[in-house]
Amino acid sequence: MTATLLDPLESDVKGIAELASESIVILDPAGIIRYWNPAAERLFGWPALAVCGTDGAQLSPAPGDEANAWSQLLQEGAWEGRVRRRTRDGDVRVARIRRHLRYDGAGTLRDVVEYARAEPEAPGWTGAHDPVPDRSMAASWEIDVAPAADILARLAPRAPGADTSERDELLHGLVNAAQIVEVNDRTARLVGGNRGRALMAGQSVAAFWPLESRTILADLILEARADRECRSVQRRLASDGILRDPLVTVWRAGDDRPDRLFVAVDGVADDDRSYLYLRASEARYRKLIHYMPVALWQVDASHMGKIYAELRSRGVTDFAGHLDDHPELVEFAAASVPVTDVNRCAIELVGGASVQDLIRPVGYLFAESPESLRRVMIGRFSGRKNYSEYMKIRALDGRLLDVRFSVTYPEPLLELDTTIFSLEDVTERLRIETELRQLQADFSHAARISTLGELTSSIAHEVNQPLAAIMTNAETSLRWLARDEPDIGKVAQLTTRIATSARRADDIVRRIRSMAVKQAPEPVPIALNDVVQESLLFVRHEIETRGIRVTTSYARRVPKIVGDRIQLQQVIVNLLINAAQAVEASCEADREIHIATTAGSKGEAVLTLRDRGPGIDPDHLGQIFDGFFTTKPQGMGIGLAICRSIVAAHGGGVSASNHPEGGAEFRVRLPPARQAS
Amino acid sequence: MPTVAIVDDDEAVREALGDLLMVSGLACECFEGAAEFLAALRVRQFDCLVTDIRMPGMSGIDLIERLRDERAELPVIVLSSVLDEATRSHALAIGAQAWLTKPVTDEHLLGALAQAIASSGSSSKR
Repeated sequence: MTATLLDPLESDVKGIAELASESIVILDPAGIIRYWNPAAERLFGWPALAVCGTDGAQLSPAPGDEANAWSQLLQEGAWEGRVRRRTRDGDVRVARIRRHLRYDGAGTLRDVVEYARAEPEAPGWTGAHDPVPDRSMAASWEIDVAPAADILARLAPRAPGADTSERDELLHGLVNAAQIVEVNDRTARLVGGNRGRALMAGQSVAAFWPLESRTILADLILEARADRECRSVQRRLASDGILRDPLVTVWRAGDDRPDRLFVAVDGVADDDRSYLYLRASEARYRKLIHYMPVALWQVDASHMGKIYAELRSRGVTDFAGHLDDHPELVEFAAASVPVTDVNRCAIELVGGASVQDLIRPVGYLFAESPESLRRVMIGRFSGRKNYSEYMKIRALDGRLLDVRFSVTYPEPLLELDTTIFSLEDVTERLRIETELRQLQADFSHAARISTLGELTSSIAHEVNQPLAAIMTNAETSLRWLARDEPDIGKVAQLTTRIATSARRADDIVRRIRSMAVKQAPEPVPIALNDVVQESLLFVRHEIETRGIRVTTSYARRVPKIVGDRIQLQQVIVNLLINAAQAVEASCEADREIHIATTAGSKGEAVLTLRDRGPGIDPDHLGQIFDGFFTTKPQGMGIGLAICRSIVAAHGGGVSASNHPEGGAEFRVRLPPARQAS
Repeated sequence: MPTVAIVDDDEAVREALGDLLMVSGLACECFEGAAEFLAALRVRQFDCLVTDIRMPGMSGIDLIERLRDERAELPVIVLSSVLDEATRSHALAIGAQAWLTKPVTDEHLLGALAQAIASSGSSSKR
């Protein structure tokens, strides 16, 4: 069955159209008839078989009318009116029809759907008493001239031509004061930018009316108001770049509302094809914007552009300074720059229910961060192409969000004065970054504690030595004092020793505490030699009791570095422990670690630490600094990774190699402190 | 007067122990490492040895093992901050008389010394 070849839904729709009493015809973009339902067969007298695949315009006795209707349809996306069609018998049928364009998912014109009903008689196309000949065709306005009452009073008694310049000024004032009550879609599309109908309401007519024909409009308003019979008055305008030969018609809304007037502008868009192309690309653009996975705000800051141009012409160059003196300009922008469109993501981001929630002056975006708006304005004034920063916004449901705000400014020479804001919610990212930083700090702390863990017995030993001395000295003192002739001199000597040992114990405890305590790194100028000596204090005992010799050679002119003492100690202690473990199993002659400090060729401070152990497996050389890489069964593999990250944080580098004479060599390079002294 | 040898790498500890033994009526000689002590032992007699365990070069355990092989009669008291149980039992197994941990009270140390010297005296008489 061929029917099965149809999409089930499509076949359903077709089925319904087959049953419809209204004539339904589908034409492709070239005007070829693709579908012709039974009601169309009855209405126009042609069987579907005979007309499908032929040009629909050929059925018209007046192809010119048809072409005109077609081009208007392409311009407007819909068309309503009367058409005449020849029947098979040679008669002419007149039908009242509606045509709509349909687009596919990509925004490309797919076809034209035409609905038609029989028009019992064919009345002449007069239009003279038809207030709006075809509302969908004309750009129609309802305006209120009540706010211009003063101007009207001054204009009424004058004779035309009395004082041209003064009269012109009054006519301009009239259009300026007249307010828009409502407009149709076509008007909004032609002159409203992206504001939409609702946002044009209440605004001055002059804001949307071409400057060169404002006096004509004002004249027509005066004429229409003066006409007692409420007839319409018309005037043809010069082409204005939007419409070709536009005809403007003005008439009173009714006797009871003398200040309300209707204005209709009829005309053909200058280039049908480009208009169609524009429509299609606009539809594509809208879809693109709408489904873009980024929150977008379309903003019309054109009036601000004019203010900036004026300020520039007045010689303002320091705009930031100007804003300091005129903070009200920022407030004015917040309250007056309208959002003209937003996409789905934007609504989601701020938790709105619909587009309407977000279509208001931009101020709400900057309520939490007014300084950001100021910077956005400065960016535009200074002619930047774009600007972005991190800021906080308050969502409509009260959440405080961290966003990356970006703005793309309109190109100064382009007519389309549309500014695009994009907001990216980085709340989660910032939270993760904070957590990562915390994790890193904890990680580094854990590494430090694990270093300490390896040193516990050494620490206990180190603290116990002075404690043992203190205890024994104190008890010996008591024995001297308990004698028949107390030896005060001896007691004084012992007490001095007690104090010395107590200080030593205190030093050790302090050192351990500084290493174990979590604290933010404190960069200070340090001598590398000192850091090496302090690190050795920490581990020397531990290393030497394993029968390992530590030899040192300190260069005198090692440049000062800037860094955190504790962190650098940790690097050296780590490298020392690694070296100690590497040589532990070696024969006694090879149990040696050599530490040297030198000045590098580029003025950096260099520390080399060499052992006489088995060296590093060449396969591992490239990865030993990676986190969690370890060759030790108990190792965490974080020691060297931490070393590298600490050295990198100090602006230096650490490398490992095998010495030609055997054993591993680690080299730490640290940049010199900036010369201040 | 019995003579005690003290082997400890920490100078403050050596001095403190030396003074304590002196006031307690014991002669004493201090060494900062096992090697120095062994060198002195070639030419001198001691009644007791007090030694640390963790020291650079030869450890206390190595020293006790050497003594066990050569001169089993010299009583050894370990005075260390090492808390490792395995090391302690090893030291006692190879002949240490006592294991004291730092810091130690004078009574404890002097008591252990008196016992060690008495045992050394009895063994030498035999």
